[in-house]
Amino acid sequence: MNHRTPQQATASDGRANDGGGPTAAVRLEGITHEYGASGGRGRSSGDRTVTALQDVSFDIQAGDIVGLEGPSGSGKSTILHAVTGLLVPTAGTVELLGTDLTELSDRKRTRIRRRHVGIVFQRFHLLPSLSARANVALPLVQAGIPRSTRRERAETLLEQVGLGDRSTHLPGELSGGERQRVAIARALVTDPDIIVADEPTGELDTATGDDVLDLLTDIGRERAVLVASHDDATLSVADRVVTLRDGRVVSNAG
Amino acid sequence: MSLRRAAVRLRAVVGLAFAQLRRSPGRTALTVFAVMLAVLSVTLLASLGVGVVETGEDGLDNAGRDIWVSSDPVDPSASGTENPIVGAHAVSAEMTERDDVSSASPIAMHDVYIGTDADDLERTPAIGVHETHDEFDYEAGGGFELDDNVTEGERPPEPTTEELLLDPDTAESLGVEVGDTVYIGTSRETAQNHEFTVIGITGYYSQYLGSDAATVPLTDLQAVAGTTGTDRATFITASVEDDADRDTVAADLDDEYAAYDVRPSDEQIGAMAEEQPLILASGATLVGLAIVGGIVLTVNLFALVAYQQRDELAALRAIGLSRWVLAGTIAVQGLVIGILGGVVGLVATPLLAAALNRLATSVIGFEALLQTPIEVYLIGLALAIVVGTVVALLTGWRAGRYARIEQLEG
Repeated sequence: MNHRTPQQATASDGRANDGGGPTAAVRLEGITHEYGASGGRGRSSGDRTVTALQDVSFDIQAGDIVGLEGPSGSGKSTILHAVTGLLVPTAGTVELLGTDLTELSDRKRTRIRRRHVGIVFQRFHLLPSLSARANVALPLVQAGIPRSTRRERAETLLEQVGLGDRSTHLPGELSGGERQRVAIARALVTDPDIIVADEPTGELDTATGDDVLDLLTDIGRERAVLVASHDDATLSVADRVVTLRDGRVVSNAG
Repeated sequence: MSLRRAAVRLRAVVGLAFAQLRRSPGRTALTVFAVMLAVLSVTLLASLGVGVVETGEDGLDNAGRDIWVSSDPVDPSASGTENPIVGAHAVSAEMTERDDVSSASPIAMHDVYIGTDADDLERTPAIGVHETHDEFDYEAGGGFELDDNVTEGERPPEPTTEELLLDPDTAESLGVEVGDTVYIGTSRETAQNHEFTVIGITGYYSQYLGSDAATVPLTDLQAVAGTTGTDRATFITASVEDDADRDTVAADLDDEYAAYDVRPSDEQIGAMAEEQPLILASGATLVGLAIVGGIVLTVNLFALVAYQQRDELAALRAIGLSRWVLAGTIAVQGLVIGILGGVVGLVATPLLAAALNRLATSVIGFEALLQTPIEVYLIGLALAIVVGTVVALLTGWRAGRYARIEQLEG
């Protein structure tokens, strides 16, 4: 077990390296979460709490694509929230590159998310008022990276996802598949170690969905990817699928 | 280095805010319009509040007198029985003899009966003054000036000038014009004994009494009222020499005339205002309502602006932008909308105030009911820009706090 403090874990470049065996990119250890308990730790639950997760543990190594499967309400979203640091589970630890997110402040979790996690949403969530290029460059704003550098990085990524000629288009002028590719480019712009995708093909037709999955597989070679989906085709690109039922892991198989 | 980063972030925040505003020009225009309404509600209501308070004070201000001498609480609608200063001309003459007083003259107030037919008379307050002046703003005709300055000498028991000024309403209801003759008396029975010529029409005194009022030469009014002998007046007003200090002279006079209340003019305004708590309360309430109403409108507006962008804010938060950056984009939108709406509102204020004043003049006879001192504009501008930006920043900050993926899945 790795018990480093967040300070040690995020020293210098923020990436973990304890000199021992490979650190998992993501490690969930005994995660339990109850909604209605104000989402925080140490709060007693009332009668109306709903247990979303119960003792969930699994990890993802760099280079792994892990699928997250289960019906609605099985706890997929809660796991994505926990991994991205948008939520602190009631019990258990969430380690990202060796740093336990549950011990960090909201601000520090935001910083870790910005540096190490890229998120791809089902509904893209691009800013309609900004061009594809500006949308991709957005996560770099917080780091205070100058505009010319932001543009350069965004254009390179748009080239990589096959949208080099669409960089000045507004999201409204792009197809669903193109928008999702812009969103993937945005998720990659900070060069994250972990990509979290929530139903990435949910809004796309099969052929477009396949293109997006190819792209995800491609970028997944060097990173840890966690994909939540109902869709078998989407889950088929995963090296391993974690199946959830009523907040518990019922299978964790390759 | 970190300063440079902050500058880069600030620039991006401003860019984001403008992009959001440009994205929905219709919504932006409506928001600007709403801020303009909030500003106008503040400036116009506050103008009305200021105007209500100042309308009561105007008559005193315009009289240009430095010192007011009265006795007992002053009631502007006082009738003949409440002219408490006895021997007013003698007191005035005594005061005028002082080196530091340039002039002093009494003012009397009586309720009189006036009419063209001795059997059909109207009751109206009358102000007895020694002279009229330019501020009277005559609608027709002109004023009067008594021949002799105020002296202690004998005054005739009968009216000598036999002229008066009427306010426009009384003139209209009596059906008289400049040059016509009217009966005047302090009772219906005595009115037929005195015939005066109408020499001018003016709303000067009715403006600050809040009711119609006739203006009559002082000695004539005393003669009509039968107070020539006791020489009664409601006030004595005095002007001090240019090199004299008003407050010092007032204090001296107060010691010398212990039976009377001697006040500098601004205190006198305060003393009269105390007699009109309702007017003061109304004015203050209007100003208070204007500010509270404007703030509530603005808070609601920017809470809505942030609410409408909650999905975008949630996405930005999820991809790692800080709450300050999110709040900043909303705050900059608030600032831009506040400046635009504020400027439009301030430009529209004098135009609308003038239009409302015209309406007020024609309907209720008060002139310049809405007054727009610089403070009114400052309050309006502060509301639009400061309140707008602060509220936008706070609502943006709150919106960032609740950003969750759930919101992004809806």
